[in-house]
Amino acid sequence: MTTHIHIVKVHHLTLSFPTRKDPNPKPILNDVDFGIRDGEILGLIGNSGCGKTMTSLAIAGLLPESASITSGSIKFAGKDLLAMDPKSRRAMLGKDIGMIFQEPSTALDPLMTCGKQLEEVLTAHKDSTKTPEERRKAIIEMLETVGFTNAEEILDRYPHQLSGGQRQRVLIAGAALLNPRLLICDEPTSSLDTVTTVSILALLKDLCHKLHMTILFISHDLSAARGFCDRVMVMKDGKIIDKDTTSDILSHPKNAYTAELLTNARLDTRLLGLEPATVDYTRSPVLTAKNITAGYGDSLFARGKNRKTDNTILHEVSLEVFPNEILGLIGSSGSGKTTLIRSLLGLLPHSGKVNIRSSSVGAIFQDPVSCLNPAHTIKWHMEEALRASGKTDNSVPRKERKAKSLAKIISVLEECGLGEQHLLRHPKELSGGQRQRVAIAMCLIQEPSLIIADEPFSSLDASSSAELLKLMTDINRERSTAFLLITHNIHIVRQICPRVIVMDSGRICEEGNTTDVLTNPKSECTSSLLDAEREIHGI
Amino acid sequence: MSSQKTQSKRSPEASAFYIAGLILLGIVVVAFVISLFWTPYAPDATDGASKFLPPSLEHPFGTDNFGRDVLSRVMSASKYTIFISAAGVAIALILGTVSGIPAGYYGGFTDRGIMLLGNSIMCFPGILLALVAVAVFGASVTNVIWALGLVFAPTFARVCRLGTMEIKELDYITHARVMGVKPVRIMTFHIFPNLVSQLLPATVIGLANMTLFESGMSYLGLGVQPPDASFGKMLSDAQAYFRVAPWLVIFPAMMLIFYILGLYFISEGMRVSLTKGGK
Repeated sequence: MTTHIHIVKVHHLTLSFPTRKDPNPKPILNDVDFGIRDGEILGLIGNSGCGKTMTSLAIAGLLPESASITSGSIKFAGKDLLAMDPKSRRAMLGKDIGMIFQEPSTALDPLMTCGKQLEEVLTAHKDSTKTPEERRKAIIEMLETVGFTNAEEILDRYPHQLSGGQRQRVLIAGAALLNPRLLICDEPTSSLDTVTTVSILALLKDLCHKLHMTILFISHDLSAARGFCDRVMVMKDGKIIDKDTTSDILSHPKNAYTAELLTNARLDTRLLGLEPATVDYTRSPVLTAKNITAGYGDSLFARGKNRKTDNTILHEVSLEVFPNEILGLIGSSGSGKTTLIRSLLGLLPHSGKVNIRSSSVGAIFQDPVSCLNPAHTIKWHMEEALRASGKTDNSVPRKERKAKSLAKIISVLEECGLGEQHLLRHPKELSGGQRQRVAIAMCLIQEPSLIIADEPFSSLDASSSAELLKLMTDINRERSTAFLLITHNIHIVRQICPRVIVMDSGRICEEGNTTDVLTNPKSECTSSLLDAEREIHGI
Repeated sequence: MSSQKTQSKRSPEASAFYIAGLILLGIVVVAFVISLFWTPYAPDATDGASKFLPPSLEHPFGTDNFGRDVLSRVMSASKYTIFISAAGVAIALILGTVSGIPAGYYGGFTDRGIMLLGNSIMCFPGILLALVAVAVFGASVTNVIWALGLVFAPTFARVCRLGTMEIKELDYITHARVMGVKPVRIMTFHIFPNLVSQLLPATVIGLANMTLFESGMSYLGLGVQPPDASFGKMLSDAQAYFRVAPWLVIFPAMMLIFYILGLYFISEGMRVSLTKGGK
């Protein structure tokens, strides 16, 4: 059958990073062997560090210099890629193989309009047969294909004037302009919210049919493959351990690891044994916020021109968090969730009243890469947190105090699933999940009655998310710490938050008992969030 | 894990720069260290009988118009050159960090005020400003150091300000603020250690540039005062005798070139290794 012709054939590929000290290290990719059929959407799923990105880079020819392919071959449409010279390989990039990356905010040049950047794509591939007008026409057509109704306007916009989803569309348009036969999407949706994710996946599927493209879709989220991929491969420690059609993998996983991934992806509290504390709503709240209005100030330029623009992002938001409660805060991106918590933490000037009944509030942020200071060890981080909390007893002698604080640090770290051996490590020696746990430990050592968590799961893979979630519920139950959990994963909210707040364009559009709000949404934004979630997770 | 740390390999390009830089710099530093204890002759000892002697076994670098041994003078000149550049850079570094980090951290009017001051210093040609300062306050080594330190401070302030502006937006600084760490502590213990990688190359380049400035000022007679020697001073003294005694120019100039080239190579090596290939 002609449809089963493999466009890419990876044949027993082994890849490692040899160093002078260790010329034969553990391979990053170990005997990887698969084919991508012409016209299909193939999902490559695995936890972070399993080698899925390296596989895609090997196909695209973008491996870091220190990588070396010890055995195997990669064939693209019959040509042996590894035997080709670098120049002709580079020429294939874009034209035959297109790529889309995870972070749409950094993939576009902030100083160039989108139109210019898209034009660059065409001129870089010596498409000089076309006149500028023809090129412009082609770009506008492509922008319309990827779902822009105002393509002409988008051409003259700068990247910062677009939302994350729009930027990702522009990038997809750029990749599709050259009509590549293979499009590699490396976590294209993991920094987008659920509503946008659904629309981007739909767009990719649509493009795949319209332009007859083949897609290699890389993700850490097995459930994202549902309804999108034709076939799915599961990768673990550099090996492909499971390979099947999507429906078979999702409904009857044969491999134990695949089943585990699936459980973690569902984040099912009953299966993971999570159990949040019960909340007593008669007690006085830990955090009361009344009529918070916040926004960004005018630039000096606008002030000088004496023109008042409306930069208000939050409009009169009020909320209460009760002791022991995990309060969910959901909303699509740009709805003002982050602005709200920045105001609550006192990092942004705002009007209205914030009353926190506690000496300290903990906070965990989204990005596990920048949550710890790269210049210092974990021990220093913990000591700094302890010192800043002012809970050290200055009457006892220095030595005793040190021993006491060290004991406390170790006990808190152990509670968070880390140990003494991590004390002297630097953040770069820890995984993303471990770093988030250090961030939590830093909050815990200050003994706050409230921890504000801003999308702590969004950049972690399913297993780390499940562990983090378990840790949070454990803390909630054992220390009776309240959480304000901001997330775009409604599934998590449904299971661990007794109460939920839905935000849209800087206002709270719905709040109340989670089951009531999510089963019987009264506002439009809640139902659109729920629709998107249903489509992705198939629940 | 200590093994992971030592594994960070240096690219061969960076290693070549480091080795070349250290050899060149080493020559000057060795001359300086030895001069602290011993020089073949006293650097200021004049000898009427042995003027303008070409290089020989007795005087490897020859003698000058007063019959002073050039090797001894070059060795003692390296002392002033290294001392002035190091002290000047230290002053510039301290002033630059102390003003640059708060400027970047607080922004707004603090930033504008500090940067206005820095930019107004940078408006003038540096050497001119240093010359004016020395002319007003008198020519002495201390004044030269202060003048050069002030002239170079805005460069470091800019590096610090920019780095701080980037770092302060990162989550770990926000986290520290939420934890209740005081601003001064955030700047010194949270931000500053992360600026070191950016400040190091700037410091090395600063050393080289400051040496050039110092030589220029000494050449104009506003730096090191006779009978002490610095490379610039020796060059300026020697220019009248260039035709009869070229060794008077060649040897101090060679040492100056070694010192500056060595520093440039090291900073280039740092740039290559810190930015992973400098691309």
